[in-house]
Amino acid sequence: MKNKKSVSYSKWGYIFIIPFFVVYIIFNLYPQILTVYNSFFENYRQGLTQVGPNFVGFSNYVALLTPSSEGTIDILRYLGNTMIMWVMGAVPQFLIALILALIFTSSRLNIKGQGVYKSIIYMPNMIMAAAFSMLFFTMFSTVGPVNQVLESMGILDKPIDFISFTLPARSLVAFMNFLMWFGNTTIMLVAGIQGIDESLFEAAKIDGANSWNVFSRITLPLLRPILVYVAITSLIGGLRMFDVPQVLSKGVGMPDRTTFTVVMLLNNYLGTSKNYGMAGAVSVLLFIVTAILSTFVFKFINKKEEK
Amino acid sequence: MKKKLVSLLMVATMAASMVACGQTATEAPATEAPAADAAATEAPAAETPAAEEGKVFNIYAWNEEYKGFFEKYYADKIPADVEVKWTIVPSDNGAYQEALDNALLNQENAAADEKVDMFLAEADYILKYTNSDFTQDITALGVTDFSNTYAYTVEAASDVAGTVKGVSFQCCPSALIYRRSIAKEVLGTDDPTEVQAALSSWDKFDAVAADAKAKGYLMTPSYAETYRVFSNNVSQPWISDANELQFDANINTWMDQAEKYVKEGYTLTEGIWDAGKNAEMGKDGKALCFFGPAWYFNFCMGPAHDEAMGDWAICEGPQAHFWGGTWLLAPTGTDNPTILADCMNTFINDEAVCENLIRNEAQFTNNQAVNAKVASDPEYASEFLGGQNDVAIFAELAKNIKFQNVTLYDQYCNEGLQTYFVEYLKGSVDSRDKALANFYTYIGEKVPGIVTPQ
Amino acid sequence: MDMNERGRIKLIITRFLAYFFVIFTCLLCVLFFAILLINATKTNFQLQNKFSIIPGTNFLVNLKNAWLDASIDIPRGMLNSLIVALTSSLLTTYFSALTAYGIFAYDFKGKKLIFTFILGIMMIPTQVNAVGFIQLAYKYNLTNKLLMLIIPSIAAPAVFFYMIQYLQATLPMELVEAARIDGSGEFKTFNQIVLPIMKPAVAVQLIFAFVESWNNYFMPSLLLTDSTKKTVPIMMFQLRSADYSKFDLGKMYMFILLAVLPVIVVYLIVSKSIIKGVTSGSVKG
Repeated sequence: MKNKKSVSYSKWGYIFIIPFFVVYIIFNLYPQILTVYNSFFENYRQGLTQVGPNFVGFSNYVALLTPSSEGTIDILRYLGNTMIMWVMGAVPQFLIALILALIFTSSRLNIKGQGVYKSIIYMPNMIMAAAFSMLFFTMFSTVGPVNQVLESMGILDKPIDFISFTLPARSLVAFMNFLMWFGNTTIMLVAGIQGIDESLFEAAKIDGANSWNVFSRITLPLLRPILVYVAITSLIGGLRMFDVPQVLSKGVGMPDRTTFTVVMLLNNYLGTSKNYGMAGAVSVLLFIVTAILSTFVFKFINKKEEK
Repeated sequence: MKKKLVSLLMVATMAASMVACGQTATEAPATEAPAADAAATEAPAAETPAAEEGKVFNIYAWNEEYKGFFEKYYADKIPADVEVKWTIVPSDNGAYQEALDNALLNQENAAADEKVDMFLAEADYILKYTNSDFTQDITALGVTDFSNTYAYTVEAASDVAGTVKGVSFQCCPSALIYRRSIAKEVLGTDDPTEVQAALSSWDKFDAVAADAKAKGYLMTPSYAETYRVFSNNVSQPWISDANELQFDANINTWMDQAEKYVKEGYTLTEGIWDAGKNAEMGKDGKALCFFGPAWYFNFCMGPAHDEAMGDWAICEGPQAHFWGGTWLLAPTGTDNPTILADCMNTFINDEAVCENLIRNEAQFTNNQAVNAKVASDPEYASEFLGGQNDVAIFAELAKNIKFQNVTLYDQYCNEGLQTYFVEYLKGSVDSRDKALANFYTYIGEKVPGIVTPQ
Repeated sequence: MDMNERGRIKLIITRFLAYFFVIFTCLLCVLFFAILLINATKTNFQLQNKFSIIPGTNFLVNLKNAWLDASIDIPRGMLNSLIVALTSSLLTTYFSALTAYGIFAYDFKGKKLIFTFILGIMMIPTQVNAVGFIQLAYKYNLTNKLLMLIIPSIAAPAVFFYMIQYLQATLPMELVEAARIDGSGEFKTFNQIVLPIMKPAVAVQLIFAFVESWNNYFMPSLLLTDSTKKTVPIMMFQLRSADYSKFDLGKMYMFILLAVLPVIVVYLIVSKSIIKGVTSGSVKG
């Protein structure tokens, strides 16, 4: 009886998912196919003159992956920049998030006012990255408040041009990413720790395990899947890094293009010259990297779903 | 209560989605229909300006400067039923060109009220538009009297065949702007003739730079301050006929000078528009020389006006040059040819308007007769320049301007070189070659099809 | 006794350090916002000299200057951002809930495959199809149309995933069956029974989608070139390229404040449910 009923209703399932798929196909899938298609063509604008589209096979990819006279492959350099800045932000992000999560979940410490703390540390995640970056640019400029304070305290006798040197410029990008994301990670890890079976901790306590042992033998191993999940989603997010370095470096990835990211390259190709061919090739490479990383996330989620 | 709110929200959602869907459905044909119409009526409209013209006059610009003049001195001549619509996109990083290109490429398909009717362009990229079918012959529209304009402004607005596509409302000879109080300290005088004599060649300029440094001053506030002086006097363009990026000897000289000046402490590693350079215009400023035309010292030296009024003067400097200038161009397909032509004529030939531009707006106009009149007016004096008659000096300098060796891509080349070369000066990259390699990469990304030297 | 005493002291010290650490990280988060707020009250002259934490009195002047600025039309930008963020967040939540319900409540052929497919595309960023998207926009003359930012939000795999998890956890199918017996149509059941049950999930996702859209920069910057259509993040980049010689720093801080303030205000009101939403979304097993 029940079976029959659900069969008769099944068309509603299709009807309800139609809008999603229609929009997905028109605005995502079709552009995605077009992107791949474009990557095999020479197709750009020179001034007001349209060049192409001419089929060129893999030459866009070849151009993208050919080393320059100095022996560097630009796209790999930008991928490297992206990853370095991601790691510089992600390491403190995960360390501090882990410490905070342990503090928040410790029944012994019994921290009061957790709701308020969590709200505050999550707040930077809500801030517009472009505006945040603009704020940092202003604050760390040679005539900004940071230099003013350092000078008035006598630490500096001459302002530091932070964004003109690789380490400070990358550090600023990493620091902004860290600030925007450590609250999020903390909250995820708190949920992860709270999801661990309480009786395991009880048992450990009875056996006389010290806190380090509890952490290294129980909490960390059981937290690993969530840590991996959060790390990989963060990595995928990191690959798309754009807003912060774009605004901070005014789109040029200064200094020495060391804060120039893959998506900034995509933006440069797409913006001025409508270079769909090269932009397509960059997108396809980015897609492949993301897709590989996504399979890990996918496996994780799917496991959860099957449970 | 809460339930109500949620259901209300849902109704709104539904409505919004329906409206949204409805809009996409109807919008597509709506934009196509007028496009067809427009294409059909376009050609005759341009030839018979007396016919019914558009009700929206669309102007593209990259800042507010001209808009102010237009509103003050021309807007009241526009028929009451015509609305003026400004589209202003800042020019940095080529953003203005991008927006303009998109609009022009879409000109044929755009609805009549959306067509570009007039647009502004700078010397750095004016060629791109004049040498294309996207601009039209203004003499056919009725702008024919160029007897009072400076020849270079007409050349700049003409295509290779000599067809004039637009006019400039200003003439932009650039001068050396020096700070009187510092000139007295360094040169012992602030008299323009004597200062000019002391700075009339690059060798003298270098010598004074050393003096200034010894007395605790800066020669210039920015490594790129003298860039235009060199780049304006090049003997070959940035891009060769074979589409190769090339460096003129003058550009190399500028790089040498910038490097030396930074190393010796004669200048700063601040860009020409940076906050740090700006500080040098203020009351604690240490820089002796700035370079720029009338628009520069009147509109881009804010702190100098606020904190050091009258402490300035101008002279020719080591080499004659010009900087910038705004041209009004006539796009093909405009539906307001009469207003367009009238507006252009007003800004080059209406003597009352031109005189107002000088006296009220501190411009150096593109009308030689009016400039000469003010130049010989003993009453006229610039407060900012401590009583100097800047028009008289500019009238002299304007004679030497040549518009030559320009390319479509000068904005990217000029801006890009400064952006990446300063990284070497700051020590962010360790060699000049590396800085230039970054510049080539940038050009490769922004301007495909250009062969860069590597 | 002695051991206990030591343990107690140790606990007090650890607790002190823990509080110190937590408060320190909180201050770090608030610090930049506080500086922004303080600097937005000062004059250009004050800002160019020594930094002090004492607020100035120029807040309203800066607000007026920023609000009326001719080249960066921030009220227009905020309005555009608001239109896009509001409509797209409504569409995202509604259609994600609908799609989730469609897959959750009905059995149909290919359901498992479709579900797996949506999970598979969840992590693919929109940046990788930007080329095709922008090309189509230019081809069909759809640049500078805010709708191009609104309509695509109907297909949001991540929101769908959140919604379906919520349905799995909260919606008893008996309720749907009962509605059917009462003669309620399927669409009506969804709108009048299922959606109200999903209210907490919808509210959380509404806010997330709003914030995401408000802060979105990449796609709008490629799509919107007309100054009357620009959204706030594009204006932030314009601010970065601004010519400083004509710029007032007090106004600059005010622009940044205006860009982030709406979201911060909404966040402060509903932060509790957002914090809850963060976790239940992705790793609720």
